[in-house]
Amino acid sequence: MDNIAGRKSGLSWAVNISVALLVALWLFPTVGLLVSSFRTADQISASGWWKSLFSAEQVVQLRTGGAEAATQEGDLWVVEGNLLDEAEDGPAPGITITRFGVSSKAVDAFAVGDTATFSKDEKTFTMDAAGNYRFTSTEKLRKRGQRVFITATLPPDFTLENYDQVLFSGNSNDSMAKAFFNTLTVTIPATIIPILIAAFAAYALAWMEFPGRVLLIATVVGLLVVPLQLALIPLLKLHLNIGIGKGYLGVWLAHTGFGLPLAIYLLRNYMAGLPKDIIENAKVDGATDFQIFTKIILPLSFPALASFAILQFLWTWNDLLVAKVFLIDATGNTTVMTNQIVELLGTRGGNWEILATAAFVSIVAPLCVFFAMQRYLVRGLLAGSVK
Amino acid sequence: MTPKLYASAAALALMAGTAMADGHGHMKFKPGEGAFSWDSYNAWAESAPDLSGQTVTVAGPWLQPEDDVFRSVLAYFTEATGAEAIYTGSDSFEQQIVIDAEAGSAPNIAVFPQPGLAADMAARGLLSPLPASMAPWTVENYGAGQSWVDLGTYADKDGADQHYGFFYNVNVKSLVWYVPENFEDAEYEVPETMEELRALTEQIVADGETPWCIGLGSGAATGWPATDWVEDIMLRTQPADVYDAWTTNDIPFNDERVVAAIEEFGWFVGDDAKVSGGAGAVATTDFRDSPKGMFAAPAECYMHRQASFVPAFFPEGIEFGEDVDFFYFPSYEGKDLGNPVLGGGTLMAITDPSDATTALMEFFQLPLAHEVFGAQSGFLTPLKSVNPETYLNDALRGQADILVNATTFRFDGSDLMPGGVGAGSFWTGMVDFTGGKDAATVAAEIQDSWDALK
Repeated sequence: MDNIAGRKSGLSWAVNISVALLVALWLFPTVGLLVSSFRTADQISASGWWKSLFSAEQVVQLRTGGAEAATQEGDLWVVEGNLLDEAEDGPAPGITITRFGVSSKAVDAFAVGDTATFSKDEKTFTMDAAGNYRFTSTEKLRKRGQRVFITATLPPDFTLENYDQVLFSGNSNDSMAKAFFNTLTVTIPATIIPILIAAFAAYALAWMEFPGRVLLIATVVGLLVVPLQLALIPLLKLHLNIGIGKGYLGVWLAHTGFGLPLAIYLLRNYMAGLPKDIIENAKVDGATDFQIFTKIILPLSFPALASFAILQFLWTWNDLLVAKVFLIDATGNTTVMTNQIVELLGTRGGNWEILATAAFVSIVAPLCVFFAMQRYLVRGLLAGSVK
Repeated sequence: MTPKLYASAAALALMAGTAMADGHGHMKFKPGEGAFSWDSYNAWAESAPDLSGQTVTVAGPWLQPEDDVFRSVLAYFTEATGAEAIYTGSDSFEQQIVIDAEAGSAPNIAVFPQPGLAADMAARGLLSPLPASMAPWTVENYGAGQSWVDLGTYADKDGADQHYGFFYNVNVKSLVWYVPENFEDAEYEVPETMEELRALTEQIVADGETPWCIGLGSGAATGWPATDWVEDIMLRTQPADVYDAWTTNDIPFNDERVVAAIEEFGWFVGDDAKVSGGAGAVATTDFRDSPKGMFAAPAECYMHRQASFVPAFFPEGIEFGEDVDFFYFPSYEGKDLGNPVLGGGTLMAITDPSDATTALMEFFQLPLAHEVFGAQSGFLTPLKSVNPETYLNDALRGQADILVNATTFRFDGSDLMPGGVGAGSFWTGMVDFTGGKDAATVAAEIQDSWDALK
């Protein structure tokens, strides 16, 4: 290997480790979100997601049968049964209970097999490790049974309920599926229109000589720093006055307007960097500007077009603000995914399980677009065309 | 591959565009059945104008699950008049309604979560006054009717007072939630006076347990639960007219009576032994998560003071009356101030008048419009003609009882203060206070911010 230029650095292990660390740092929250999306709200508030991956000792509150299940034996009212079988929403039968308690002040006071005597010696309770119990009382029982706290090692418990709720809740008018197609209706034209306009503009600004060109470029660059929030109300007023109103056309125009400065700036810089020789050769051969644009510039600019398309698609896909102002009207027929997710979060927010799940549902389309187009980002078209 | 992907996606998008369904809910309760007030509804429906083909839009802050409940209320309006009534909810309603009203694309009716914004929009001429019959009707039919009219009356663009806001969906804030079985296990009694509540708090601490779960975290609104505490204590330590003067700044925020109320809140919240997680955790604990400590095994705390909407954040499967109950946040026996109740509520105002809108406002005068909501969700109404039997559960009936028996009802003070204070410096000031800042300093800073707004 000695005769190869650019020897492998002795510090490559350091590079590898830092890359691994960065990847781990990046993935850690995402994995947490993914795990959380399979847990119920109560589980999320009770313990961290990292604990849910392993079996853990937990205290669970269960209830014996009440007055209806009781039988009378002499002076005693007796309820017998199995705590784990009777619990509707409790841990799965088959776990091994180690300790139990009958008071919230001492939830693990007794080992299984012991007999707890409480309420001034009026009540006794005993159970075995499988959850079979016997509860006696000298007084008539209440409608609801006695609270029992059990300590047991519970296996990891995950659910698909969150995904069910995010994807399939709501009626035909108010569902995620409809919001998904609405979002596509917004994003696809809102990605294509600015690219079309910006490509023409960028060519003109990069390769056509006309007075005021530099001033025009400076203006476009200046527009990059104008916050779009400034334009919301005036632009909506304009839309309402000229009869567009709130709707798809309005939101396409708004996204186009807000996306154009960056698109023109990016594409102009890329096109200006293309080799001058090719364009001059074409001109010598008698090509018109339009021919140069379609036959030479466009194919060569594909990586820049693709990268801007990804950027614009992600921005419009994740957008809530522009959609709320220009699209979502009081009839509620036009909703987008971001808005649908916010609605699912509830009146006072705080449904973290829905938030985690919705994040993974809404990430699907951008990921598909990214993987479909990323090769254009990587592939250097230019390298192949100029020998 | 990419053009194909676009083509198919575009085709799907077009299909979705054509598959439009109707936007209203359906009637959840069959007319004539149950304890609902059908008679007044039927009588109104017969004389109601035929509005077929017209549409009324309502925008408000209710999202899941209240949005569906409200749509089912609107279904009865559609049934009676033929007009379509559409509700859309938004989490950023306060910002959106301003943009829409400014630009001229407002819905017909806006449901405001608090009066401050409605008053602000009325002053900018963005609201239309309610039909003239609404004010006398409210005085007559609402419990403490005049105070509800006053809360919905604001100055218009020219400074003249007009009746804009109609209150619908009220909540009671002076409630302390607890788990009866935990109280039984520890042999504690439900306190009936503030003296007893303080003694119970000290008793629980002496037993080596934690009495309170308090959480102030609420994203950008962090701190608001503490303002409710201070308001409740103000009503229990000072007469109601002092409270009114406080909310209008006729007495300064750093008045010694206000500072004393903040310090009394500090008695509960400033002691590590009295609050779950310690005093330092109060500001960072989310208000939605804090009640869950009561249901943990072993219990992390015994009591939680919060408004009537809080059961939405209890763990799943919790049954009211069995697993959880509430008592009235008591008043001092030693101070002769009666039983004050603190509350809040949403109000409806007309942002774009039409015939169908007027008819819908008339519809909301019917007890049925209140009963259908209350039968499905946490909803209270001051409307006296509502049949209490139709409330969803005993919790709501108990709260309605507290509302009716209140000797003094006062609206959430922070909602009445200017936004910069009531939804700004008061919140952050309370966070500073729980963080260890002195009550007098905090109150003086809030007063400074109020002065700056004048």
